[in-house]
Amino acid sequence: MIRLAIKSLMNRRASVVLTVIAIAVSVTLLLAVERVREQVQSHFANTVSGTDLIIGARTGQTQLLLSSVFHIGSMTNNMSWESFVDISERPEVSWAIPMSLGDSVQGLPVVATTNAYFEHFKYGDKQALEFSQGSAFASDEEVVLGADAAEKLSKIIDDEIIIAHGSGGISFSEHEEHPLTVTGVLKRTGTPVDQAVLVTLHSLDMIHSGEHEHSEHDHHNEAPAESISAALLGLKAKPLALRLQRQINTYDKEPLTALLPGMTLQELWKTLRVFEQALTAISAMVVLIGLLGMLTIMLASLRERRREMAVLRAVGAGPGTIFGLLLSEALVLTVVGAFSGLLLLYGLQWSLAGVIQSQTGLIFNTTWPSISEWWRIALVITAGFMLSLIPAWRAYRQSLADGLTVKI
Amino acid sequence: MHAVSIENLLFSWAGQRPTLDIPGWQIKQGETVLLRGPSGSGKSTLLSLLAGINTPQSGSLNLFETAFSNLSGRQRDRYRADNIGYIFQQFNLLPYLSALDNALLACQFSKKRRQRIAEQGSSAEATATEMLQRLGLNSTQIEQPAHTLSVGQQQRVAAARALLGAPKLLIADEPTSALDAEHRDTFIQLLLELSSQNNTTVIFVTHDAALSSYFDQHVELNTLNQAGAQS
Repeated sequence: MIRLAIKSLMNRRASVVLTVIAIAVSVTLLLAVERVREQVQSHFANTVSGTDLIIGARTGQTQLLLSSVFHIGSMTNNMSWESFVDISERPEVSWAIPMSLGDSVQGLPVVATTNAYFEHFKYGDKQALEFSQGSAFASDEEVVLGADAAEKLSKIIDDEIIIAHGSGGISFSEHEEHPLTVTGVLKRTGTPVDQAVLVTLHSLDMIHSGEHEHSEHDHHNEAPAESISAALLGLKAKPLALRLQRQINTYDKEPLTALLPGMTLQELWKTLRVFEQALTAISAMVVLIGLLGMLTIMLASLRERRREMAVLRAVGAGPGTIFGLLLSEALVLTVVGAFSGLLLLYGLQWSLAGVIQSQTGLIFNTTWPSISEWWRIALVITAGFMLSLIPAWRAYRQSLADGLTVKI
Repeated sequence: MHAVSIENLLFSWAGQRPTLDIPGWQIKQGETVLLRGPSGSGKSTLLSLLAGINTPQSGSLNLFETAFSNLSGRQRDRYRADNIGYIFQQFNLLPYLSALDNALLACQFSKKRRQRIAEQGSSAEATATEMLQRLGLNSTQIEQPAHTLSVGQQQRVAAARALLGAPKLLIADEPTSALDAEHRDTFIQLLLELSSQNNTTVIFVTHDAALSSYFDQHVELNTLNQAGAQS
């Protein structure tokens, strides 16, 4: 019967192909939404690991997390260097990475920090940063590039680059007088670090002071900067994090914010969940529209297929067989549609992976469909099957009424 | 043995006066019958009863000693698949199947038909091909999709489909009405020749009395059916 159904479908190629495309595209959308969500979450979760607390001037926790780790948005206020030293020298703090943010080179974020960054920053499964070329900066005239940054600026070790003040792609005040030498390039991490241009805190300070025509600035000051944007802290014992967070949040010398990266990420997901659900609902609707298209085409074809049904009945097919024939047709359509959708998804993922990575830093792993994806596919096929009961039932009634005599 | 045996058969469509009222009618096995009746005489209704699509409200309709009208719908479908060949006036074929696949269609639905062919030491495909060739289709036409064939060729494929697997009864509902006189005569001759090989009983419906010379028996539906007389 499946063979007969397939041959009958082949006969109505044009409308069948359109139906399959509609179902395929809708299934692709349904799966893609879920895939993007999962990849974004794991990407975010992989970006920082081993950091127990992130501190900065008083601001929203999400804003502090996004700007310090993901280089998204910027901090409006800075925390003073004195406060940073005070906190980082507390006995429960094992290491601290100060960071100054907000500048850019050709749209790439400049992260001013210290060598502690290369020593203590961890990503993914507590992996440390590694150099593909060179080493960490030793002086204020040196710069380290993330893997993508090196590629985008087409710089290798010993090349010189200019750093401008201000964030974003277009810079209004470029200053040629502070060329920095590339001393190292980091290995690819799949995190925002790949985009970063890393300089020393003092070097950034010099760039900024350069705007004021070298005012009397003490370059040999003990502090490498007056203030910083944020700091990542590693603690000697994790359970201390909550207590320290409370102490920093109630710090009396200046208003500060401290956050636990994992918890803040969770909160971020919670706020985004409504948005995700809306996307999933929309893609489910699109699938439904695809299936309704199939229903429409099947119902419309019934009229012109009365003759076909009569021939089948004449050779001994019962109304039940006609019913089954229509169900098989719908099953073939939805199964072929769903799997074409899956193929389309992989095709898109494969062809767009490069673009997505360079635009967003997201790396899509080409993996086998997950259990939840199989469930979604099964759901689509079941829904298609249920909907096809309608034309199947109508064909059943029709073939009972028509019998062998069709008056068209 | 009687191929068809009807007694006091009464049939009416829902809410209407009886369309058929046949006190008695018998056809012997192997007989060829020309059934003639003007349109509106209940011809289609009688054929749908003989094919088991509908059942009479009262009376009996037996096919080869089987109480056909007492079988369930599913059993009648099965009986039709196994034992009855049916040819329509036209549009007999599934347009998307080849002539050969169309001819094999009835065998696909009936294990018994396939068995009968196997008993003769042949395969369904081989027998169908042979039969189509005897009916005048060449080997390319046999592989062609049915809708590319001429009306005459289509009717011959329909005959092959109906007769493949040696059904006991062949019902042909004006199969020659779309053919010209020359094709009509060859078609009937081939049809009857193939039927007689398997001792198939033939009920051939037509409005053309000129064909009666080909058949053993000529029956006017108006004389059988009392429903028209009462009104």
